[in-house]
Amino acid sequence: MYSLALRMAWASLARRPARSFLVVLMICVSLWGLLLMQGIYDGMTEQMIANAIRSDSGQLSLFGRGYRLDPSLDKLIGGKETENTREKFRNLLDSDPRVRSWVKRLRQNGLVATAHYSRNTEIYGVDLDREDRHGRLKSYLVQGEYDFGNRSKGAIIGFKLAEKLQVKIGKKIILSAQDINSDVTSIALRITGIFKTNNLGLDENALFIDLERARTFLGVEQGVSQISIMLHDDQQLASLQQDLQHALPNLDVLRWDELYPALMQSRVMMKGFSLVISIMIFGVAGLGIFGVMLVSVLERMREFGIMLAIGTAFSQVRIIILAEALFMGLTGLLAGMVCGGLSLVYFKIYGLDLTMFSEAFEEFGMDAITYAIIRPDYFVTAFVAVVLATFVSVYFPLRLLRRAKPVEIINAV
Amino acid sequence: MLIQLAIRNVLAYRKHSVITFLLGAVSTALLVFSSAWNDGSHQQMIKNAVEIYSGYIQITGAEFRKSPSFEHLLFNVEKLQKDVEAVAGVDLFSPRFDSFVLYSVGEKAVGGMLTGIDPEKERRISRLYSSLKEGRYLSKTDTNQLYIGNELARRLKLQVGDELAFVGSGADYSFAADKLIVKGIFQTGLFEFDATSAFLAKPYFDMIMAAENLATHGIVLPHDTQQADIVAKNIGRKIGAEFQSASWMETMAPLVKSMKLDSVFGYITLGIIFIVIFFVIMIYTLLAVFARIREIGIMRAVGTTPRQILGILLLESSILGFISVVAGGLIGAVFAYYFNVHPMVFSGMEEQFKQYGLAVSAMPTAFEPFTILRDMLVMFVLLLLSTLYPIIKVNRYQPIEAMHHV
Repeated sequence: MYSLALRMAWASLARRPARSFLVVLMICVSLWGLLLMQGIYDGMTEQMIANAIRSDSGQLSLFGRGYRLDPSLDKLIGGKETENTREKFRNLLDSDPRVRSWVKRLRQNGLVATAHYSRNTEIYGVDLDREDRHGRLKSYLVQGEYDFGNRSKGAIIGFKLAEKLQVKIGKKIILSAQDINSDVTSIALRITGIFKTNNLGLDENALFIDLERARTFLGVEQGVSQISIMLHDDQQLASLQQDLQHALPNLDVLRWDELYPALMQSRVMMKGFSLVISIMIFGVAGLGIFGVMLVSVLERMREFGIMLAIGTAFSQVRIIILAEALFMGLTGLLAGMVCGGLSLVYFKIYGLDLTMFSEAFEEFGMDAITYAIIRPDYFVTAFVAVVLATFVSVYFPLRLLRRAKPVEIINAV
Repeated sequence: MLIQLAIRNVLAYRKHSVITFLLGAVSTALLVFSSAWNDGSHQQMIKNAVEIYSGYIQITGAEFRKSPSFEHLLFNVEKLQKDVEAVAGVDLFSPRFDSFVLYSVGEKAVGGMLTGIDPEKERRISRLYSSLKEGRYLSKTDTNQLYIGNELARRLKLQVGDELAFVGSGADYSFAADKLIVKGIFQTGLFEFDATSAFLAKPYFDMIMAAENLATHGIVLPHDTQQADIVAKNIGRKIGAEFQSASWMETMAPLVKSMKLDSVFGYITLGIIFIVIFFVIMIYTLLAVFARIREIGIMRAVGTTPRQILGILLLESSILGFISVVAGGLIGAVFAYYFNVHPMVFSGMEEQFKQYGLAVSAMPTAFEPFTILRDMLVMFVLLLLSTLYPIIKVNRYQPIEAMHHV
């Protein structure tokens, strides 16, 4: 019995090919656009977040209590503890199965100067090998080498800082800062590398030097300013944060979104924005299906009247009409998903290259090449929305038909 | 006669007319308002960025922007000032001297910018004066009185009246250091700026930094800020090739570009919505035209030419398009005007603005009649285009075919 209903539905669609085709095309194109937009915009936001996490905060960051408000060398992690306590601390991070990697950074505010020019900078004493394993720091290098040279006399600096200082690879710089005894000390370094993370704070201010060099430079024998932690699984973030805070009550344990609240806001805003656009698009598309279904039912009132009069059950008529609407809806959905999905796969692999706007992207702290994201829920949402729009759009025509009396319809001119 | 017929048809097929009208009007209103919002918020962001500190026109030594060293300073500022102020359209010229120094209080030291300014002129070319938070603003005769950014003061734990020291290098590369007293604290809202900047009155600054009659750059205030670009070019011609005169469009190029990019994304998003809307209009027109196919067949049979029928149908959609565009334009314009007078406030988004160095959370929309008319015209053309396919299609039928069309 269903096959008959389906055949009738198909026949009535085929009878008006232009109309049916337009509806399918409408759904397909709007879905295509929507999927592309969601995938690309999400890609942009997530790339910004990933850049911040990889280059700086990790998914979790540990700081000495109060360091963030007043970053000074007397608020270090493990600055005053005994070797025993610090060993325990290392074990705590190394043995936790949720932790993928962690790195230590010694930070201090300072002044970097060339022969002509000086700027303030944030000095990061880091271990390059560990940083690369941690957040693939090497991939951010745009010039020079990922190395501090022999005797660790090198420095790797942010590209905006390099621009402002007018320095190139191999140039000499003088770095001054206050050491742990509050005396101003200076060292001469050579630029070995320039990086671009698109994390605005780092690109504009950061200067990476070797961790051990930073220790001798600043007179800090033990302790670090920041520990950045990466997890295997994003889902365990909250539980690890809780456990670490519990185990280390005199440290600040902060998630990336607590360190970069603006990024979290972007993500939330992007979600809201997507939702509004989706509702508008599916609302309008629903209106399109509705119009076609209404006319399709109205012009066949007589046909349906006769069917009802000779004993066809209303439920069967309902199936015919529903099938007709679903045919259109699902074909459009499928076509849109295939087109949108394929485009997204393309942009996921090759990226959307907007290098011509790269200056503008830099201003926003975004990458000029965006790799699309494909989330299953784009497709689930689209499916639910199209099916919902289809059902809603046949509701009114069906009600119209239900209220009508077969005899009257047949006799109407 | 065609017009009469068309009007009558629009009135007769009321449902179709109403839906087409609504879709057209909503799209137009959406487009008009989005443009107003985009333009308005972008203008506001740029205006803020320009007016807080960087100024409408910047004059530097020819090479200074490329390599900002003391070798490319503005030498003989007094003569330059006279030359610049003689150019038509220039209101005033104010020299500044930027240098990076290390501030220290007790045991704490923080790097930052120390700038010598003309306090009286600065009042008019930037928002330093109006951003006063505590204490008092500078005056020309001040000596070691410092006007310091709120975040910088917080990092150094300074209050009004406190003492601090700085170390830096003078314009002749000599060692410069002095004790300063905080006279006032300002907060512009540009986080980076407030965290790195402090100011001295230029006469005193010149003395301790050996910067007499020198400046790193000068800011020009044009009489009409809209003309900044032209005035900047005129100044450039007058003062010659050893200087560079750049309007905010050059000095703020990345910001201007990023605003353009933001607009592009906005229009792409709108475009996706509009595609759907036009499909719906096309579908509804198709339905409406085919519902009348018998009528059209009869008209053809009694001697109406295809051209006339095309005319009637096009007139109908033009009338509908025109009414909906006007109505939508008006609605959009009303909103644009309202939010122009009462800017929208985004209190939850300060973090984001801060990150991009934007000091605003209140955004007015732009109210520009020309832009609104442009959008209305674009919309009208698009609406007409979206009805074209069904109208042409129905005209292809032979009269007999049309009359018997089921």
